[in-house]
This record gives sequence, structure tokens and C-alpha cells, in this order.
Amino acid sequence: MPTETEVKTREQKAVTSYQTPEVWAKVAGKAIYGIDLKLPGMLYGKILRSPHPHARIMGVDLEQARQMPGVRAALGGGDLSCKPFGIVYKDELPLALDRVRYIGDEVAAVAAVDEGIALKALEAIKVDYDPLPAVFDTEEALAPGAPQLHDQYPGNLAWQRELTRGTPEAAFKAADLVVEGTFSVPQVHAAYLEPICCVADYDPYGGLTLHTAVQSPAVVSELVADVLELPSSKVRIVGPVMGGGFGGRVYGNLKVYIIASLLAIKCGRPVRLQLTRQEEFIAGRPMIAAKIRGKLALNNDGLILAREVDLITDNGAYSAQAPWVSKTLSERNDSVYRIPNIRTTVRLVCTNKVPTGQYRAYGNQAGNFAMESLLDMAAKKLEMDPLDLRLKNCVKKGDVTVHGLQINSCALSDCLQAAADEIGWHKRKPGRGYGISAAIHASGSLVFDKNLRGASAYARLEYDGKVTLFSGEQDYGQGMHATFILIAARALGLDPDQVTIYTRDTLTAPFSIGALAMRQTTIGGKAVQLAAEKLREKMVQAAAEMLGEPVVMEGGRVRSASGKILELPEIAAYYRAQTSGLSITGEGKYVPPASAYDETGYGNISVAYSFAAHAAEVEVDQETGEVTIKRIVAAHDSGRILNLISARGQVYGGVTQGLGYSCLEGYLFDGGRVLSDSLANYRIPTALDVPDIIPIFIEEDDTEGPFGAKGLGEIVMVPVLGAVANAVADALGMRVTDLPITAERIYQAIAGWECEQ
Amino acid sequence: MQKELISFTLNGEIIEVYADPAISLLHLLRNELGLTGTKEGCGEGECGACTVLLDGRAVNSCLVPAGKVKSRSVLTIEGLARGDQYHPLQEAFVEKGAVQCGFCTPGMIMSAYSLLQEKPDPTGHEIKTAISGNLCRCSGYKQIEEAVLDAAEKLKRKGKSS
Amino acid sequence: MSYQVVTNLEQALAALKNAAEKSRIIAGGTDLFLEKLPENLLDVSSLAEALVIEERGSNLLIGAAVTHARAAASPLLCKKARALTEACAQVGSPQVRNIGTLGGNVINAAPAADAAVALAALGAKAELLDCSGNTRIVELEELYAGFNCSAIDSCQELLLRFMVHSGGPGSGSAFTRLAARKALALPMANAAAWLRVENNCLWEVRLVVAPVKPAPTRLFKTEALLAGKPLTAESWREAAQAAMEEVEVRGSLLRCSADYRRHLVGVLVGRVLETAAGRALTGKGEA
Repeated sequence: MPTETEVKTREQKAVTSYQTPEVWAKVAGKAIYGIDLKLPGMLYGKILRSPHPHARIMGVDLEQARQMPGVRAALGGGDLSCKPFGIVYKDELPLALDRVRYIGDEVAAVAAVDEGIALKALEAIKVDYDPLPAVFDTEEALAPGAPQLHDQYPGNLAWQRELTRGTPEAAFKAADLVVEGTFSVPQVHAAYLEPICCVADYDPYGGLTLHTAVQSPAVVSELVADVLELPSSKVRIVGPVMGGGFGGRVYGNLKVYIIASLLAIKCGRPVRLQLTRQEEFIAGRPMIAAKIRGKLALNNDGLILAREVDLITDNGAYSAQAPWVSKTLSERNDSVYRIPNIRTTVRLVCTNKVPTGQYRAYGNQAGNFAMESLLDMAAKKLEMDPLDLRLKNCVKKGDVTVHGLQINSCALSDCLQAAADEIGWHKRKPGRGYGISAAIHASGSLVFDKNLRGASAYARLEYDGKVTLFSGEQDYGQGMHATFILIAARALGLDPDQVTIYTRDTLTAPFSIGALAMRQTTIGGKAVQLAAEKLREKMVQAAAEMLGEPVVMEGGRVRSASGKILELPEIAAYYRAQTSGLSITGEGKYVPPASAYDETGYGNISVAYSFAAHAAEVEVDQETGEVTIKRIVAAHDSGRILNLISARGQVYGGVTQGLGYSCLEGYLFDGGRVLSDSLANYRIPTALDVPDIIPIFIEEDDTEGPFGAKGLGEIVMVPVLGAVANAVADALGMRVTDLPITAERIYQAIAGWECEQ
Repeated sequence: MQKELISFTLNGEIIEVYADPAISLLHLLRNELGLTGTKEGCGEGECGACTVLLDGRAVNSCLVPAGKVKSRSVLTIEGLARGDQYHPLQEAFVEKGAVQCGFCTPGMIMSAYSLLQEKPDPTGHEIKTAISGNLCRCSGYKQIEEAVLDAAEKLKRKGKSS
Repeated sequence: MSYQVVTNLEQALAALKNAAEKSRIIAGGTDLFLEKLPENLLDVSSLAEALVIEERGSNLLIGAAVTHARAAASPLLCKKARALTEACAQVGSPQVRNIGTLGGNVINAAPAADAAVALAALGAKAELLDCSGNTRIVELEELYAGFNCSAIDSCQELLLRFMVHSGGPGSGSAFTRLAARKALALPMANAAAWLRVENNCLWEVRLVVAPVKPAPTRLFKTEALLAGKPLTAESWREAAQAAMEEVEVRGSLLRCSADYRRHLVGVLVGRVLETAAGRALTGKGEA
């Protein structure tokens, strides 16, 4: 572990580390986000949504809307010839054809010269619905006789999985202690501050251009092309600045882009389609809700022998990414500890509620809540310190976990110890509760595309001597651009101000899976490093040709053995002359080390793994049940931290999101209607709700990541859920097993306990 | 409502605009006047992304009818920098890493500006209270608080509070 | 004119008269804007007579156009109407407090509107004017016609100001609320108390909790129980129990269940009485 001096020295260097000039545009109010865009001749689109949770569509009458002055297009499902689409399963249409399956389901869309007219046009559309019985609860949906949502999901089971590794049954029989519990988490929304907005622009020659900020523009452009049956090279995404993503802007809102495109193609004019904040909540794809039944088997020494999980996740009306998220939720936590035997059952169930997408950490944090709660329950029964129980079982460098994850770098034990020390684990304040929790997350998960596991980038020497990077990775405020510039600058020996990066145009950016799977630093950053190194090699080569002798590059210029100096613009000019106009370009292709995984998912699914331990100190008002979180210590192993100022920002922000998930956030439904459909009723933390958060970075170089770095962006919100749940249980003497942990839930727990007395 | 002549002081300049007094000040700024620095995050006064100063006090412009600003003074994020000279708050936000996606930033800076006018030497709690109506999903607010403290220091050194 | 701003009473009443009930009074506008804005608006947020905060004899006059922020920061109100300043400081967010007014808060008629709850505990009366200048003075409760429904037609009458008795020696007041988060949140329940102490016993108590009825409602039975009681934890416990029995509560999916709300009422009543009593003992003639 680095000494305080080393960290301070690095911090001093890193605090003055790089932020791109875009940050100045942001503080001046000059940055252009999707909602700020205006194109000449732009029309305004609006979507008509189903008021019924489940109904047949008997007819859609668009005539009156079409005739309205100022309306340029009105479309219903019957006007389209699109085939069904989806991320995992193709179960959605851009506009419903014969059935609607949730309140908010897209039925029709209009484009008009202004928003007021578009809204009036919606009111003029007549839809004849024949309501059908609806189902809102997953267990009811599974029961025989329940209303069926999709022919392709018999019994409303959209996806299921049963997985056994080792011999869990024997392990449970042999165990000295078995603890079990049932936990639940609600749907949660990424709640990025900028609503989804897309300006679609179509011309028959250039094709379709979508001006919209997405985390995976290359993938979205191909998905849109596929649905619209356009050649993929004729769908271009140009991103304005992104106002937050957190997984919610990956591709869950595909429908918005498709509908905007359909309207633009119909009208021959750009169409702006923006979700209102209410639409964000009722149709903007939150993350799955889940009921988690978990069991742990341990021996008297505190060794974990086996784990069993039975998970039911709520698909909502359509699947999108829900099967993948369900999978991660069910099993990621198995790899935090050395657990030799596991048994997992997962069922993804359709209900007539809002369909789901994905969110930061992909369900890992929900699994963390359940797993870490069970561990503390075990610790209590064994009369063992919860910290010691974790230290005893946590994975270490060199391990291969029960799912085949190869842990090549791991400072988890150090994280646990550091978090505990800083929170005062052994010096507790009276009247406070303390909890700790550990997590793992894939840093560069490889499972999203079997055929494309890595990333690529270009580094180009400009004629003025500056360097331009091209990458398909996305920055939505988490500092990706700045980090990539630092990586390239370091590889080239240049000042960061000499490097610029472009990522937001699919026309010029290499293909990328996008900002997900915590892959951007590990995989995207590595490609940038390789591209920069390749560029350096080529520049040196060209310079050597120019001078006819060996040269070395240092401090941003090239020097020969005999002392001659060449500046970069000279080398660029030379190369341009030699090649009749080309620029020296370094191509970086990062192909991660081979990793095989079988059809059960067993294998090394990621390039690297990041670890974290969070410790929480809380106070519970036993009369009102109000929880006050006093401090969170967040200890992280993300390898070498390349950009400290932005790494700290990730911890503060991610922990705060985790606190929201733990104590404040969660969808509330009345049947199929989302009640929490505004920022007033879906409550994310305000500045007054955030406690002291202390980030600690334990830096041990990873073997693969660029300059030893691993990802940080998703794992930051994982262990805080378990830490808070455990701290509250410690303060209260009893446990809340449903999120969010509200004052009322605590009151119910106390009242229930008092009843039993 | 019928359009009316709305005359008010905007970023130090008296302007006249012909607009429907029933639209929000936010829409007046963004759509009629092309000042897109002030953002719309929710349209119902719950996120603070639309914060501007009305007669020196921070308000949610999405809930202010345009007619209300007649003869009054409005300050938006575009009015903070003087030419190419950024305001100490803007500099501090950059230096302290208080800007991630940046969407909440204009509103956040305006709330902080309003605070420093009233309290040039704020405590951490006063800062948190002043920005409690500005939601940020990216940052966890900590570096924002540090930036406001830093800006207060900068302004004190300059010998003024604005 | 469709959006008219008035700065004095004469102007305001003339405009009301001219509009012949077609123009609606608007102050801060934050609640009004969330619904559909009426066709014609009469903006009284700069109306001088509605902006007063002053003491006249044994009364405090608080203009209806006073914003929550101004009220919260007023030294006079902090001294003599502490429950009100505490309530105003916790509403919404700074942006809402800077423009939302006390009058608007009452006219919007939300059952747990914090300022209204405090005003009710302080025994506030409201002064209304019609367009001919006729005045009437009513109890705060009379301004409510139902849940979220004002008894005042803001196209006909102007709510000008509130009158509150300055407490006098031995009095104290307090306000408290519990919400799901620490800003931008409506309360799950709130409570306000004003009381007067003599010889270390409760001489007079006004106790209000919300949301219980459409209007902020006094708990008369609990108040009666407290008369003459000593300032002890036992008294506060008794009051909490009595309050829980006296209130009829409703639950909501979005905020909290009826059972929890009732429990909260008990807790908040005990706390607010204790705080008010402490202030009555230490304050010298302050409310």
C-alpha cells in the first residue's frame, strides 16, 4: 500500500490533472445538450401512450389529428411495417399494433410545428381500446390462469435459469449454520438530470442522423438501422453533450429514437422528440425489481460453505436488458467470497407494468444488499465480528471464483481493513450503528458481444503538431475524455493540452459497445494507450527517415543521435508530402486475453475485476424511525488511479446514488400506474441528505489495464447498500429486508418486534 | 394569453421582448431569447436546473410566469462572466472538479452566487442548504461544496462579494 | 391587460373591479403554475400593503405577499412567532422559499402546508378585501373549503395580511415536521404549538397537527388535557397519547400509511410541546 507521502504527492500531481476545455463551456452555460438543439425547420414530436395496463387495440383514428393545422405527420402501429425488436428478445414494436401491455405503452406519435399543436393533436387521436385483465404482481403472473402478456413467454416467464456449481445440497446438510432471508428491491430509475431527447434528421442521400446523447451510439445506430430496415452505414449518431447516463442512456430508450426517426422520415424534416420528466418515469426504463430469497451455509469457524439464491425479477411489459441484469443480480456476489458451492434459480416474470432497462452496476448492488445482510445475520449467530467473517472468506489475488472469474489483481482485504479502520470499527460511538460490505465488479466485461470483446482507437498527428484521438467510448460527465487524454499524453510524452478527443460521431469513431460493463478505462483506455504508442512509433520512424539516423522522442519533440531536433509539425508535413496528403495515424487494437466461458457462463468473463468495501455509520431515531447516515467510508481497489479529481467525484456521486437506492428511492405503484412519476415523488438525495463520504483508493497495479488502472464507475454504488443495511440493523437490533429503508419501515420493524414481546 | 411587451433587465441590460406573459421565464429565456444555458430538468420546480436570479434571489424559472419579470431584473448563467473573465465561482467549479455532466451546473452556480451575495463567508451547512433545491445526480455534492468555499475565499481576497 | 402587476392597494382593488371576476390574483405563482394558468392574472407580489412585517400594539401584522424566505429571516418573527419562522425555513427549497408567499401557501389549501400550520397554532386571523374595499377578518380555518380547496375566490377577494397576537411574557412556540428527505419534500406529518406558561405550568396551549383535516386543525381535546399540567416529560407523553387518539388520519401510498402517520403525530406533538415550553421558560416575553 502506498505511503501517505506517496498518495499526497500523487494527489498534488493529480489534483492539477486534466479536465477537458469542455468544462469551461459547461460552467458558462454554453455546452449544448440534446435538449438545447435546434435545427432549421425542426418539428416537435409527441407520443400518445396507453392509459390501460392491458388492452386490445380495436382501432386507431388519426384523421382528425392529421387534418389539424400545423401537424405534419401522425402515425399509428398500423402505418408501420417494422418487425419486432428488442435487446435480448424481440418482443416490442415501435408503436403498438394490436395490444398494449402497460400504462404508457407507445400507441401513436405526431410531429407538428410546435409543441402546443403536437399536444393538441394527441388529444385528437381516437383509440378504441378493449381492456383486458391485467396482472401486476410477479407471483400472481406466474400462477396458472393469469393474464398472458406475450405468446412468446408462456406462463409469463420471459427468462429463467437454474445453475448449480459444486455440491450445494451436501454442503447445506453438512453445515453447522444455515441462515436465510427474503429481501426485496423496487424498480429504481437512473434519474439523469437531462431528459432523453432525440432530434432525428433524414435525407434520402445522406441517410438518417440522430442527434442524441447515448452511451453506446454505435450499437444504437445498428439497432435503429435494423428496425427501420436501413443500411447501417446510413444511420449516423452525432452526440451533443450528455446530461448524465448511469446506464439509463445505453439503449433502453430505443423506442424514442425509432419513433423520432419514423416521424423524420415521414415528414422530410428534422423532428425533435423529448421525454417529459413524467414520461421518463412511466416509460423510461427503470431497473428491475426483485424478490431475493437467499441462504448461506457456514461452519462454526465462519467459513462459507455454500450459497443458494432463488430470485424472481419483474420484467415489466417488455424485456430489453432484463435477462442480463437478472443474471448479474443473481450471481455477481458469489465471486466476492470463496464460496465453493452455489445454487441459483432465477425467474424473470412479465407483468403489466413499466418495462425495465439497466442502471449502474447492473443489479450487483441489489444482490449486495441481500448477500451482505445474510453475512451479518450469520456473523451474529456465530458471535463473530462481521469484519472478521469477511476477511476470512474474501477472495484474494490468484483465486478463481466459483464462476470461473480469474482474480489477477485484488486488494479487497486491504479495502475491508481500510474501511473498517477509517469508520472506527473498533472505536464505536455510543448510540450509532456500524455496517460493512464488500463488492466485486467486472472491469471490462466481455460477455456483451462474443465477437467483439475489445476496443480500438486512432491517434492522429495533426499538421500543427497536436494529436487527435478517435474512440467510440463515451463521456457523460464521468471524465472519460480527460482520462483518455491523460493516457495518450502519457504514452506520447506530451502535455495533455496538446491532445483532443472525439467520440461522439459514429461516422468517425471506431465501433464500440459503449459505456457499460465498466469497460471504458480497462478496455477503451487500453486501446487509446496502444493507439498512442503506435503513433509514437510511426512518428519516430518518419523522423528517422527524415534525418537518416536513429532518433528518440522525448518531451514532445524528436532528437537524433547527432543532436538534430525535429518538431512534430515538421514530421507531419514530411509525412503529408511523402504520402500525398495522409496524416500519421496510430491504430490501437486491444484484444483482451483469451477468455472462454461455457454455456452456463462459467469462465473468465472480464479483463479485470475491481473491488470495494464500504463502511457506514448511522444513527436511527427510534421514535420516528428516521435514519441519519453520519459517514460512509468507501475503500476502492481500482488499480492505479489515473485521474484523482474525477475518481473522487465518482465515489461521492456513486455512493450518493447508492444511498438513494438504500433509503429514498423506489417506484410506487397503484396497480399498473406509476405513482412516483415526478422528481417530487421519486426522491433522489439532495445536498442536505448526503453524509460525509471518505474515499480511499488502495492502488495496486492491475496486469492488463492501461498503466495499471481498472474501472471505478459502477462499483462505487455497490457495497454501500449492504453497508447501510447492516449499519441500520446494528443500530436497531433488528433488520429491514425491503428497500428502501424508510422511516416507516423501521417503525414497522420496531412495532412488529414489540408485538412479539 | 395574448402576447405583450415585456421589458426587464436581463444580465445587466434592459431588453424588451414580445411574448406571451403566461409562458414560463424558463421558456422565455430558452426559446424566445435563445439563452440555453438555463436548463429544464423537470418543468415543475423540483430539480433546480432552471435556477436564475430574480432581483438577486434564486428562483426556479420554470415556475415564474414571464409576465412577472416586467421591470425587474434577471440574472442567468450567461451573465456571470465578464467578457472572457470568468466569475470566481465558475473558476472554482472547474478547479475543484465540481462539474461532471454539467447539466445541473448553471442552476447550481446561480444558487451559489445568490448565497455568496447574502453570506460571503458561508459554513458548509449553509452551502448545502443554499443548494438543497438543486439536484445533482453525478457528483454527490461534495466537490460542489468545496468549490463554493473556494469561490468565497477567492472573492474575499479580491475584496468584494460579487 | 392579461398580466397586470400592481404595487399598491388602490391599484389592486381597481384592477380587481375592472376585471369583473375574470382576473385571478397571483403572488409567487409556484403552485398556480403547476396547474393551468388562468387567462388573466393580477400579480400582487409587489403590493406594498401585503409585504409588511410589523408589530402593532399586541399584534403582529404579516403581509400575505411576504415570501417564506423573508419570513424565515425576519428578526421580529423569529423573536415573536418562532413557529412560523421554523416552518417557513423548511418549505421546499430556497428557490421556492424566495418566491412562494404565505398567502399563496394558505390559498393553495394543501392540508399540511407548513406555514399555514404554524399560523394556525399562533392563532392567526386573515384579513380579506373585496374589490370595493370591504374588509372582513376571519379565522384561518375559515379559509378552507375542503382538501386542497380554498374557500376564497381569488378572482373576487384579496387576502391582504395575517394578524397574530404577539405572545407576551411566558409564551413560546415551535414547529416540527418529518419528511422523506431533508429538502424538496412534503411532510409526512407536521406539528406546531404555541403555549403560555405560568408558575411552571401550562396556562394556555394551541396545538395543531397536519395533515389531518382539510384545514390545519387544533387538537382541542389534547389542549384541554394539558391545561394546568406541569412542564414534564410525563405531560408530553400524555399529550402525545391524547393527540394520537384525537386525530383522524388518512394514509397515502406516496407518503405514508395512516398507522405510521398517527404514530408520527404522537411523536411530533411530544417534541413540539417540549421545545415550545423550553422557549417559554427561557424567552423573556418572547413567543
